[in-house]
Amino acid sequence: MSEIKDSALAIGRRNLLKAGLAAGATLAVANAGLLGTSSGAAAAEEEIPSLKGKRIAISATGTDHHFDLTAYNAQIDEVKKLGGEPIAVDAQRNDTKLVSQLQTLIAQRPDALVQLLGTLTVVDPWLKRAKDAKIPVFTIDVGTPNSLNNTTSDNWRIGSDLALQLVSDIGGAGNIVVFNGFYGVVPCAIRYDQLKAVIKYYPDVKIIEPELRDVIPNTVQDAFSQITAILNKYPEKGSIKAIWSAWDIPQLGATQALVAAGRTEISTYGVDGSPEVLQLVRDPNSPAAGNAAQQPEEIGRTAIRNVARYLAGQKLPRETYVPALIANKKNIEEVTKTLRLG
Amino acid sequence: MSADIDTLSDFSSGNDGARRFARWLAGFALHGGSILAFAALLIFFSITAPFFFTLGNIGNVLGQSAILGVLAIGLTIVIIGGGANVVKGGIDLSLAANLGLSAAVYATLVSTGHGDGVAIAGALLTGGLIGLVNAIAIVIFGIVPLLATLAVMNVVAGLELVLTQNTVVSAASDFLSVLSNYGPFDIPVLAYVLIIFTIIAAGIVQYTPLGLRLYAVGAFPEAARAAGLPVKRIVASSYIASGLCGGLSGILSVSYLSGSTTGAGEMLLPVVVTALLSVVFSRRLVPTIGGTLLSTLLVGFLTNGFQLLNISSTLVSGIQGILILLVVAATSLQRGKGVA
Repeated sequence: MSEIKDSALAIGRRNLLKAGLAAGATLAVANAGLLGTSSGAAAAEEEIPSLKGKRIAISATGTDHHFDLTAYNAQIDEVKKLGGEPIAVDAQRNDTKLVSQLQTLIAQRPDALVQLLGTLTVVDPWLKRAKDAKIPVFTIDVGTPNSLNNTTSDNWRIGSDLALQLVSDIGGAGNIVVFNGFYGVVPCAIRYDQLKAVIKYYPDVKIIEPELRDVIPNTVQDAFSQITAILNKYPEKGSIKAIWSAWDIPQLGATQALVAAGRTEISTYGVDGSPEVLQLVRDPNSPAAGNAAQQPEEIGRTAIRNVARYLAGQKLPRETYVPALIANKKNIEEVTKTLRLG
Repeated sequence: MSADIDTLSDFSSGNDGARRFARWLAGFALHGGSILAFAALLIFFSITAPFFFTLGNIGNVLGQSAILGVLAIGLTIVIIGGGANVVKGGIDLSLAANLGLSAAVYATLVSTGHGDGVAIAGALLTGGLIGLVNAIAIVIFGIVPLLATLAVMNVVAGLELVLTQNTVVSAASDFLSVLSNYGPFDIPVLAYVLIIFTIIAAGIVQYTPLGLRLYAVGAFPEAARAAGLPVKRIVASSYIASGLCGGLSGILSVSYLSGSTTGAGEMLLPVVVTALLSVVFSRRLVPTIGGTLLSTLLVGFLTNGFQLLNISSTLVSGIQGILILLVVAATSLQRGKGVA
């Protein structure tokens, strides 16, 4: 499977990087541990129990982003494939609608409920109500004690892989600009902390202070103007080596700003595998150098398979990690093929 | 553009028998037809959708409609007092933003350790103040309500951004958990809130002299002024009442969503649509509080029934759009305009 091949590649690159570093041992240990957790997805060849006669509720916060839409459709397809009946509702990023739909879903008494994303404080009271009503609750990218199993990308690995790619690309030295506006969102915090953990061992890599704050909405335009401003502050080529963000919509704006200012010697890095950003990574002249692409289709499928396993009486881990693929200028063709974007 | 419905229409022009018949038919079809359609819809869902006709589900729909219902009733009061002309008549576009800011004020007060009493007062005061600003802009400065409330909407939405930094402010308190819980007969407390609020609002607007004056000011401002009614004061009060509805819906929203969240502005179009649709549920085709409740519930039952039947809920907005087209077309026909 290609994600396994990719992780092997990633390890090769890591080992190269670590060669000169005594401290690298710590990371190697962490890496081994992470490989262990991703084995769940690798075991996709196993027999998946049938969902025949089961009604599976699928509640999505929205389907306006590539990630949501792909994971949502993958869940519906997988329920049908396993012989079950999906009850799928999409709240179109409207929290009031999301809660109403959850309330009605609970009254419908499905055999299981899968919540895709959502602000924890908004959805959690209703997931608890579903749990209290004896409906097995599953989640994608929502960590809550009210869910039996949460399927998510491994954000520790995403964070460290992306950071290592960045450090390797800039030769282990130079100033980097960081967007850190969503430290309150757990996956973003993990990715940021992993970046800090990696550059701790590269004393010549410096994060420019103050860090930038990415915003929602108008993320692209805002990132564009913030980067344009900071380029004026650091006009000399080489004074900034890279730009990092915890997701890839700020990366999109930053990349556009670099092109507009003719500063394409700077590289940008982000997370999510949005098709428009992967397109930039593919373009050899674009400053977009790396993107950690999550596998939304695999994530959606895995969540439903976990439901089937649970309903068949199998034990589930608390979290199921689906590996992300680090796309760079060299492997972009292969990654898009795996993600079926090409 | 010509969606203003006034009772004068029966007397104005049109001796042509066919045209009169068309108008009569439009009025009859609109009022009778919409009630029949609502009943047919409920019967259809009861037969086809499992769980639909259960006390719990109907209670859920009532509870889910509470926030929209309170806002739409606020807008209905403004439309009654300002006249139903969509361009020049009464309208409060700041209502959804008002909900957002009031909810943010409530959630911020609770999360910074204040009691529910302070938070309730804070939310209602916020809503009332927004209403007051609207009233001043419209009554004293004479700005068209559509533009005045549009400007206020932007200011209010900006204030919410400043207060919350565009983030979710979670809030938990005893009062909030009572509101978001289930009451007698396993029906959500919010459902009771909606019913009681509608009864109070309908009582004031439909059955008191004050309510009658509100209708008079909206439908015949010149006559009302000639009769010595304080037109400006009554119009101003309607905006303050609407602002208070925004504050109240903010409180309900905090309980429903366990805090204040972003994106309250998206409620605006549903609120306007609901209030406009309300006319078809009154015999004289004027906006009424009861009609607004029915139109809120129509949308609520549609959404709910579709989910129970496993039909995509995106169809609901399409159906809403068709309903509005029908309403506007039929009211135009009924007024004798729009027919060649």
